[in-house]
Amino acid sequence: MADGIRIENLVKTYGEGETAVHALQGVDMHVAPGEVVGLIGPSGSGKSTLLKCLGAVIEPTSGRMTIGEQTIYDNGWKIPDLRALRRDRIGFIFQSPYLIPFLDVTDNVALLPMLAGVTNIKARARAVELLTALDVVHRAKAMPSQLSGGEQQRVAIARALVSRPPVILADEPTAPLDGERALAVVKILNDMAARYQTAIIIVTHDEKIIPTFKRLYHIRDGRTHEEDGRAEPAS
Amino acid sequence: MISLAGRDILHSWGKFVFTGIGLGLLIGVTLTMAGVYRGMVDDAQAMLDNSGADLWVVQRNTLGPYAEPSSINDDVERSVRAMPGVARAANVTYLTMQIGHAGRDVRVMVVGIEAASPGEPGQPPHLVAGRQIVRAHYEAVADVKTGFRLGDVVQVRRNRYKIVGLTSRMVSSGGDPMLFIPLKDAQQAQFLKDSDAIVRQRARTARNPALNPPGNPGMVDAVTASQTSNPYVNAVLVQIKEGFSPDQVAEPIRRWQRLTVYTRAEMEEILVDKLIATSARQIGMFLVILSIVSAAIVAFIIYTLTMGKIREIAVLKLIGTRNRTISFMILQQALGLGLIGFVVGKIAATFWAPIFPKYVLLLSSDSVRGFIAVMVICAIASLLAIRAALRIDPAEAIGG
Repeated sequence: MADGIRIENLVKTYGEGETAVHALQGVDMHVAPGEVVGLIGPSGSGKSTLLKCLGAVIEPTSGRMTIGEQTIYDNGWKIPDLRALRRDRIGFIFQSPYLIPFLDVTDNVALLPMLAGVTNIKARARAVELLTALDVVHRAKAMPSQLSGGEQQRVAIARALVSRPPVILADEPTAPLDGERALAVVKILNDMAARYQTAIIIVTHDEKIIPTFKRLYHIRDGRTHEEDGRAEPAS
Repeated sequence: MISLAGRDILHSWGKFVFTGIGLGLLIGVTLTMAGVYRGMVDDAQAMLDNSGADLWVVQRNTLGPYAEPSSINDDVERSVRAMPGVARAANVTYLTMQIGHAGRDVRVMVVGIEAASPGEPGQPPHLVAGRQIVRAHYEAVADVKTGFRLGDVVQVRRNRYKIVGLTSRMVSSGGDPMLFIPLKDAQQAQFLKDSDAIVRQRARTARNPALNPPGNPGMVDAVTASQTSNPYVNAVLVQIKEGFSPDQVAEPIRRWQRLTVYTRAEMEEILVDKLIATSARQIGMFLVILSIVSAAIVAFIIYTLTMGKIREIAVLKLIGTRNRTISFMILQQALGLGLIGFVVGKIAATFWAPIFPKYVLLLSSDSVRGFIAVMVICAIASLLAIRAALRIDPAEAIGG
């Protein structure tokens, strides 16, 4: 069985009959542990739908998805607890960091393991370890409103990594950042992927970072095409 | 386990505290309304307790002397005293009136009692200053709530009375403080006509040949004397001997004296269930409305606070937070708001209750009940916000 995340012939259709919208029409994708791939495509191409399927937020109509050796969907079958799957096996990074405003940096990162039942001390220790790795530990006691945009995004990355998930889904993580900071975030994600052997999928429109991907999936009309990541981005 | 609600409250404590203070003042009003009702009941019970009576003998088929007018002859007291099981009996009159004193009007219940009869039913049982009434005229004992002081002179109808003693917690069922004066004076005050009316009455009697027959000049004087004297009282208060039950003593009085007799339990029922029943219902309506308003305010505040955190809740759901964790967070915030409100309300009610003109009795048991009610109302009020939060789609955290 393959490691990382793999989807085969994933189909997602909204509605039925003549009004049906075929958002995904047999998508194949594989991201290995430690690998960072880009997912690009024009608006309405099915990027968000694919991301929601990968993130176990919506269920595909058919197709197969595995994370590591665990089957998540298999042609109508799904694992019973998608919420626990999201908590334990998938990390999320959003366009805006969406940090919890009433928790300090450490607890924002430690929240997920705390909710999963890890003791506060252990969860905070794990958070500090990640904040150190992301070079933002000096802001550990700050509130999110006191952080710069780049710092907030690094904290969001730490939060995504804290449960050591095999997969991280990043939705436009560099959108609010300038070029230099955007590239720094991508570098961090590459480093973290290598360090924690995490498969990372970055959905992006950001042309500054597209050349940094070794592999790139281009989605159009609900179908993906694997491309050379260093090629010119599709319009 | 981290307390998300606690952290949120600490983070935006100003919003919670100020909202809690607003809610608290409303809860304070609610507790005070309950205290007003308790005060009315307590006033009624205090009046019965302090009267020292076991039985109230009143005019037949009336709810006197407090809930309805009652008038019986003052010699009834002597025959009641002779009934089996009666230890003591005393005439008493009650008259609520306005008394001018030191440039202000004081509403009092004037109580006529036998002078120099300590221990008789109807007497003020304890004094906080001065002495009991010992002269048959022109002395008075006042409740401290009247604001009168020892040595003050107050005017009741035509006569002036010197305050010789002060008592406390002697109030009518309406909360008016009592002013005790000698029985004869009270009888006169209750039924006395003004001079012009007396002159007109005498002339009318003299013109009536039936009352002033020729050849019998003494008759008109006798009739006039009977018209200007007042041998009536409102009730006879009775203390019973040990070994007798109230019903055992009351029954022969009812049968042989052809009067209505109320026991303590019956009189309490008249005062609480009949006399202040409408006020109680009025207060009950206020309590219901205030509860609904409080619930609406809490629901609105918690709903607004929750709707302000849609993205955060979507993120929490997306990263796998259980629905019950999110629900519990909102519930805790609603309960926290209720707790702040209750503490503020309780403190506020405790401070402002003594300022009220009528007695406000804040019972601990009411506070406990109020606290439970506030928590239940807050829990119910949070349901709307919880429902809204649970309907938030975790996909909202993902763009597109």
